[in-house]
Amino acid sequence: MLKTEINDLLTQTGPGTPMGEMFRQYWIPALLASELPENDCPPVRVKLLSERLIAIRDSEGRYGLMDEFCAHRGVSLWFGRNEESGLRCAYHGWKYDVTGQCIEIPSEPDERHSVLCAKVKLTSYPLVKIGEVLWTYMGDPKDIPDLPEWEFALVPEGQSYTSKRWQECNWLQALEGGIDSSHVSWLHSDGLRSDPLFKGAQGNKYNLADRKVFFEVVESDGGLLIGARRNAEEGHYYWRITPWVMPAFTMIPPRGDHPVHGHFWIPIDDENCWVFTYDYHPVRQLTERELQAMKDGFGVHNEFVPGTFRPLQNKDNDYMMDREAQKRGDTYSGVKGISMQDASLQESMGPIVDRTKERLVSTDSGIILARRKLWRTLEALRDEGTKPPGVNPEHQRVRSVAIVLPADESFAESCRDALTVRPGERHASV
Amino acid sequence: MPRSDAPGSRPTLLSSCALATTAAEARFRISRPDTSIRDARVIAVDEPAAVLVRAAAAARAWRGGHFLVFDRVASGPGHGDGPADAVLRTPDGAVTLLSAELEGADLTVMVATAAARLEATSVIGDACAARMIMSAGLVVAAEGLAGPVVSALRPNAMVLVVLDSGDDVPEILTALRV
Repeated sequence: MLKTEINDLLTQTGPGTPMGEMFRQYWIPALLASELPENDCPPVRVKLLSERLIAIRDSEGRYGLMDEFCAHRGVSLWFGRNEESGLRCAYHGWKYDVTGQCIEIPSEPDERHSVLCAKVKLTSYPLVKIGEVLWTYMGDPKDIPDLPEWEFALVPEGQSYTSKRWQECNWLQALEGGIDSSHVSWLHSDGLRSDPLFKGAQGNKYNLADRKVFFEVVESDGGLLIGARRNAEEGHYYWRITPWVMPAFTMIPPRGDHPVHGHFWIPIDDENCWVFTYDYHPVRQLTERELQAMKDGFGVHNEFVPGTFRPLQNKDNDYMMDREAQKRGDTYSGVKGISMQDASLQESMGPIVDRTKERLVSTDSGIILARRKLWRTLEALRDEGTKPPGVNPEHQRVRSVAIVLPADESFAESCRDALTVRPGERHASV
Repeated sequence: MPRSDAPGSRPTLLSSCALATTAAEARFRISRPDTSIRDARVIAVDEPAAVLVRAAAAARAWRGGHFLVFDRVASGPGHGDGPADAVLRTPDGAVTLLSAELEGADLTVMVATAAARLEATSVIGDACAARMIMSAGLVVAAEGLAGPVVSALRPNAMVLVVLDSGDDVPEILTALRV
């Protein structure tokens, strides 16, 4: 349960809001690199943190992210021409470079031209390609942090795949699904046996044999570690450990030698978010079969309405609910696929769920603590200017873990190394 | 995959389909307050934890939860032939029994620090298990000091939360509607 004002505090991310200011401390995923596939390709509209922006890749391959609208008459630059190292407005030909600096105003006389251009600059943000993702930092340029060091973005080409989808609800209720390990035994109980990106792992037998999960939540430098434990062999527990790094990164514990995956939950505005879904293997190339399965929407990915980032299963078609499959037990909720099983229920809560009405139980402790940490952190940022956890690249060098441990061992201490990126070393997984 | 508008399926009405989750439709959610009260017990199992629990009890108006401090294991059997009983104290020093406190309780939150009395966690955990009462543990300890307490609490609590600071205890209890 949260008071209305705290719910508002955590869910509103537009300019000038406390949570919006907090998001603006981080490098966040803005687009897939494939959305700007070549120099002088068409510009892409993108809305982030309630700001309407346009992304371009210019003639020299430089990326830029700027205000979507021309400074002259407010026309969308999406209609513009991306040519000769800049984006030219289709209305009167004003032209901007990747920093948003106006470089041409064709209607102005030559003698006034450079003076006027120098005074016209659109709000812009840096846009950097790391891995298959374009990252932006929307905060104060004076405080720009070191570039992000998430392992999935740094592994060699061919070891990583990222997709993104539009989710029609506030970022926080989507994120909370990534922290809430207790729903997995129910909502996703069908996937372990059949999904090509999960099946066959030894750990699955513990999942299927013991549905009564016990939880331990531990604070970490970057956020939280959520440990879910089930019975394993005599005197041992099977642990699945999910790191949450503030504000919006979660990583699902791995299964066997399958690639490991997770999400970024990035606000589009207060009622929509982008879900960036990564899948990677720390030490080997993804196989053709794995890559195809990801593109086909298996694992934690999904199918799309062609030509869009909207899931094929969406509100308009009731997520293609299949009651017969639900009755047969093929799926628990009747909705196919892990990501859409989550999205359908999270969107059903409404655009911004009213947390004054919820009835949390102790198994929701991960969610409770995450909210508390967000709240505490944004107050420290607002009141004292304290840099939030997760900005430091050291906090980003995390891994999820699936492991069997003796019953009396603390997962946080026993898995200290396994929970940290070790380049070239396999992830800890059973 | 069948769709909701496939031939033979039931007609989908505006207010019965997923589209009804718009902000406008969300206004029609029932807004009457939930009348059921959670009956929670918050029990400190060591002296530093008692300071936190007393402070939390005084910090705000609670929804009927009882704040208690473990004093000692009581002599004799507790619940029928079940686990041992314990003597507890209320924030104002009154004495009560664990067995009496757990009558009607539906959640027990043990608050512990690195100084936790391990016999307390097992007596409370066993008593909750015997009555099928959900048990949770909040461990407030600096990094590296929580291990033994967590190990001791693990068999006795379904959920364990390890906190760097006691400042978060009241907020977590509030979220649990204590």
